[in-house]
Amino acid sequence: MNLPDPSTSQPEKSRLAFVSRLLHQAHSAWQAWTRDIFVEREERLFLVLAIVIGAFSGLAVVCFHIAIDWIRILSLGSSLRPSFPRVILAPVIGGLAVALLTIYLFPRVRGSGVNQTKAAVYVWDGYIPFSTVIGKFVTCAVALGSGQSLGPEDPSLQMGAGIASKIGRTLHLSQRKLRLIAPVGAAAGLAAAFNAPISAVLFVIEEVIGTWSAGVLGAIILAAVSSVVTMRWFLGSAPLFRIPAVQAPRPVEFFAYAILGVVGGCVSLLFTKWVEYSRPKIQALPSWTRYVLPSAAGLAIGAIGIWMPQVMGVGYAIMDQALHGQFAWKLLLILALVKILTTGFSFLSGTPGGLFAPTLFIGAMLGGGIGAIEQHFVPGLNTSIGAFALVGMGTLFGGFLRVPITSVFMVIEVSGNYAAALPVMVSSLIAYLISRRYQSVPLFDILTRQDGLLLPSTEERREHVVILVEDAMRGNGAIVTRAAEPVADLVQRAAAREDAPLLLCVRPGEWRLLDREDLQRQVADPAGATTAGDIKSRGPLPILFPDEPIDEALRWVGDWLILPVVSRADLGRIEGVLSLSDILKVLHKAAKD
Amino acid sequence: MNSSEPSPSTPVHVGQSRERVLILSLAILAGLFVVTAFLARQYHRSIHHLGDDWYAKGESSLKSRDAAAAIQDYRNALVYKPGDPTFEFHLAQALARSGRDELARSYFLTLLSASPGSGKLNLALARIAAQENSPASAVRYYHNAIYGVWEENPLSMRWQVRRELCQYLLDLGAVQEAQPDVIALAQEVSRSDYARQKITADLLLRAALWNRALDMYRSVLLADSRDHDALAGAGQAAFHLGRYGPARNYFDRLPRERREAPEIAGMAGLSSLIEEMNPLLPGLPASEQRKRADAILGVATARLENCAQQRGITLPGKPPLDPFQQIYSTGREMSRSWRRAADHASERAANAVSLAARMEEAASERCGAPQNRADQAVLLISQGSEGTSR
Repeated sequence: MNLPDPSTSQPEKSRLAFVSRLLHQAHSAWQAWTRDIFVEREERLFLVLAIVIGAFSGLAVVCFHIAIDWIRILSLGSSLRPSFPRVILAPVIGGLAVALLTIYLFPRVRGSGVNQTKAAVYVWDGYIPFSTVIGKFVTCAVALGSGQSLGPEDPSLQMGAGIASKIGRTLHLSQRKLRLIAPVGAAAGLAAAFNAPISAVLFVIEEVIGTWSAGVLGAIILAAVSSVVTMRWFLGSAPLFRIPAVQAPRPVEFFAYAILGVVGGCVSLLFTKWVEYSRPKIQALPSWTRYVLPSAAGLAIGAIGIWMPQVMGVGYAIMDQALHGQFAWKLLLILALVKILTTGFSFLSGTPGGLFAPTLFIGAMLGGGIGAIEQHFVPGLNTSIGAFALVGMGTLFGGFLRVPITSVFMVIEVSGNYAAALPVMVSSLIAYLISRRYQSVPLFDILTRQDGLLLPSTEERREHVVILVEDAMRGNGAIVTRAAEPVADLVQRAAAREDAPLLLCVRPGEWRLLDREDLQRQVADPAGATTAGDIKSRGPLPILFPDEPIDEALRWVGDWLILPVVSRADLGRIEGVLSLSDILKVLHKAAKD
Repeated sequence: MNSSEPSPSTPVHVGQSRERVLILSLAILAGLFVVTAFLARQYHRSIHHLGDDWYAKGESSLKSRDAAAAIQDYRNALVYKPGDPTFEFHLAQALARSGRDELARSYFLTLLSASPGSGKLNLALARIAAQENSPASAVRYYHNAIYGVWEENPLSMRWQVRRELCQYLLDLGAVQEAQPDVIALAQEVSRSDYARQKITADLLLRAALWNRALDMYRSVLLADSRDHDALAGAGQAAFHLGRYGPARNYFDRLPRERREAPEIAGMAGLSSLIEEMNPLLPGLPASEQRKRADAILGVATARLENCAQQRGITLPGKPPLDPFQQIYSTGREMSRSWRRAADHASERAANAVSLAARMEEAASERCGAPQNRADQAVLLISQGSEGTSR
């Protein structure tokens, strides 16, 4: 701070003093705030960080998008139908480049970004090396730009997670926060890639974290919003697809969507089974094949691309055309089938890239094709092919990726129309149920298990049956007495059930445990207690409710022989009692089941 | 793995370190914003150029009538400028030109939902509907186009669209439906725009609005008395109005090769014949009137006899039971009465025309339309006299 000039006048001096005081106060306030944010309240810092992570992820996704497009234009040309030498050479050379990069520079970029983020949360304490971010960016941009049939969303998700992990580590966040920060970045990356923050938040919760954790939900939302705002700043706010108007379906049209759900479920199942069967076989090939597999996949895709260039690359423009009913049903179904093949080639060859965009592509083509066939046979069906294509996208998303909630919201978000919500709920749920019925392990879990990790399956966790207190309690397991009951009566009742513990209800909500020996002593002593309330007791006991999870009981049951389970409507009315042996019995039974 | 390394010793130290890292992060973020903004700008610029280049290629493909190439070019253009209404409009036009009406319509309808009052979109949809032979939709879209929004030359464009609608309806043979629009079209033509007056006069002629057509042709001829199209049109209009003299006049002013065109030649010949045969022409001397009356009755009687012979009807019939025989008897009776008494020439002419017309109509019913010019002339004279008497 500059000292006042001695030559200055008195009012000038007082003004300077005032400014100096003001600056001092501001500095103190800043210090207090930063101390509060940076040291004492890590939760607040976490929220601030979420915004920063979102901005970084948004920027990364913007650059990623630009890189993919530029590489595509350079390698395949700017036409939707690449010329003959390019259509073959670009994916082959791109595949070779990707193989060399993954072998020599970025060995960790192989595999699914979703699973690597999950592994960071559950295994590596939130650690994702920053080289993975760079590696994903470079290899995926080359792969997708040169025509490999994969998508940019999964890499974006992982880049976001990697950026978040790096920031978290640099800030020396606590281990607990470090574990949670990767999903925050993942949501940001996915939100920017999809331009759909709600779907991204739901996906990360549904697939990566697996639970609605209040500790991280706010940060995930902030990061998703921040990344989408950043992305829109540079790439505009137009949605991923231009969706034609979708009319609310008539009741009879739900049958048409149900058929789409059945077909979508079967196709999802087929695709998953193929990946499940083929991936270990390809992984078991000699190590030198890693040099040639991406190129071989590129060659196959290029050969197909001579006749069907639509299946090359990400395919958003083609999906847009399908949504606007620009393909005949035969072509739509062929495109769906061929896209499954090309995506399988790319993915199984170990080329880095995601499965989101191909899933949407296959869904759009399948939906449009099925819709067109149904319209042919049912002339009264007024639903547009575009609406079927849109619902098809959600259907495959639900059936193949097994994220039914995300699929519904994604369709709403990309279409901006609630009229599509009901059809996609019907169709996606049917596809999901078919896929789950015949494929017990979801795709992401298959991939992690094949990679030698056993991460918690969010689907299993979602469907895990919670054991409640009422499942373990015994309805008539104790003798319940009130404070006013004469001791003689109590003794008589206690004698009838010698093994049952004695519970004393002092008043509603206050329960105590009586000791049988004390009771006997009172009987033997002529000057002893006359009512149950006068007898020496232990407590108060923690009370349980029948609908509480058994975990709640486990917190207390070690300290007490028995715990009362009371009604929520009347805290003085006993529903049952619970002991450690009851809990162990029911847990043992559940484990056997 | 070093993520779980112990954090620095004191909370204050941690706070200061975090503060520094966060400020550094924000600085890096700001720098990346600038870099990304530069990249994004370059990207958008190149993408827009690509879009425009493909659009230009599409335009040249369309000009060289290669609709398939134009479609591909426009589709490529739309990859770089998705949703651009101009590109989509041209793509839809190219699709329509290549016969992919269904797809073209879906594009036009999508565009129309964004700007429902657009004249050019309604016109495009009208053309597709016309091509698909659904006149109700075509007329609806044409009218929407006429009353729609046109960004450039709205008056001229509306006039052109209405002209297209009139032509479409007249081509369909829906003359009555076309008439209101043809009249409206004529009302929108400026007196000094002779080219449009000529077009409108042609449409008026096709819509059987002879009087208006004749007026319009006359207006054109005022500007250029040698305009062959106008002379031919005016002649036809006058002919249909039964004004055979003026019609012959107009036809006579045409150059020879034009006059010899079958339709004009037919009308011109008939006009001359009618002028020569018509006993009802004003200013004829009584003797000429009588002569012409006898002549047309003779023509009609000869046709009746001819037709009766073809159909095996005996003339005269005794007693005359067939309507044919009755008319024939009436004719003979009339001829006999003329020889017996010297009646009034104009009365004789009127009666002769009337009876000749009945004879020709009866013959036409049995033996088809008259092929002989003289018979046609008799019919037209009678129609003219009916018109005059009405």
